[in-house]
Amino acid sequence: MDMRDAETGKLLWESGKWGQRMLREEMQARVPKEILECRAVSRELNFTSQEEIRQFRLEQRIFLRGACLEEWFFDFGFVIPGSTNSWQQTIEAAAPEDMRHPAELSGKVTIETSFYDGKTLIAKTLVRVFYV
Amino acid sequence: MGLLTLLRKLKRTDQEARILVLGLDNAGKTTILKKLSEEDITSIMPTQGFNIKSLMHDEFKLNVWDIGGQKSIRPYWRNYFDQTDALIYVIDSADKRRMEETGEELGQLLEEDKLSEVPVLIYANKQDLMSAMAPDEITEGLNLHTIRDRPWHIQGCSAKTGDGLQDGMEWIVTKINDASRARGEEKA
Ligand SMILES: Nc1nc2c(ncn2[C@@H]2O[C@H](COP(=O)(O)OP(=O)(O)OP(=O)(O)O)[C@@H](O)[C@H]2O)c(=O)[nH]1
Ligand SMILES: [Mg+2]
Repeated sequence: MDMRDAETGKLLWESGKWGQRMLREEMQARVPKEILECRAVSRELNFTSQEEIRQFRLEQRIFLRGACLEEWFFDFGFVIPGSTNSWQQTIEAAAPEDMRHPAELSGKVTIETSFYDGKTLIAKTLVRVFYV
Repeated sequence: MGLLTLLRKLKRTDQEARILVLGLDNAGKTTILKKLSEEDITSIMPTQGFNIKSLMHDEFKLNVWDIGGQKSIRPYWRNYFDQTDALIYVIDSADKRRMEETGEELGQLLEEDKLSEVPVLIYANKQDLMSAMAPDEITEGLNLHTIRDRPWHIQGCSAKTGDGLQDGMEWIVTKINDASRARGEEKA
């Protein structure tokens, strides 16, 4: 996973490979706080699949102190067996006032991503974001 | 103009627009999309599946699908045709050896029912190379004038320098907006 300033393309944060560990534990992302000032931010998710998947989709929710701020549903449909794929979302930040205070937000924002094949849950990940 | 600017120019009559980007391997599809997002283009690997860029602006979404063009991946292209609003077909203008092959692949796409009437933008990429064929030559060589069942346009470009990318995107916006206007009139 990585995050960028969508207007300049500048890479702000990159997770490296999390692999299987990501599915068992809550992961932590230490992101530079300047990301809160970007007019648009993009997040990219990379994944590989050995198997063919027919109706791959995901649901992603961003929570701030447990309240859902943002929700993305995305239908990928078919996933090619043995493929490496990426999904980049660009969001224009209409950040509310309190989004501007990194210290208050740090550790209170979580990104929950659930992956499905049709109706069957395949995997779920949780990333907690710290602004540093 | 980046993809964000493109999104801001699309009329918001439909909730989503989908652009499909295809072409032979090594044509420069991924490089074009990265260049349009101002990302680094120096270390791009061949695409072994899909790369999707989703952009959101005021509840309106643009999804751009870039699928790998290697021979082994091409049979899977058909899984991604549904609900396409515009097709971008990328050609490596310097790859004369495979000009016929790329023409055949394009010809097959244009015969697909699911892509019927979908506007097609052909990027004649790598115009920065000395050996690149000009867009006119490609039009001639691939008989593009025989395309009559949809809007089409060929645009010379270089993903390396960024030249021509914007002009191509402007054309796409106009065509997607035309189509959604036509649908609106049909409903009324
Ligand atoms: N000189 C030049 N090289 C380019 C240009 N566009 C792409 N390339 C190079 O062409 C090679 C292939 O580019 P990609 O973007 O990976 O091509 P692709 O169409 O995505 O290929 P697949 O993912 O295999 O389908 C890379 O080495 C690029 O740097 C261009 O406009 N000019
Ligand atoms: Mg590619």
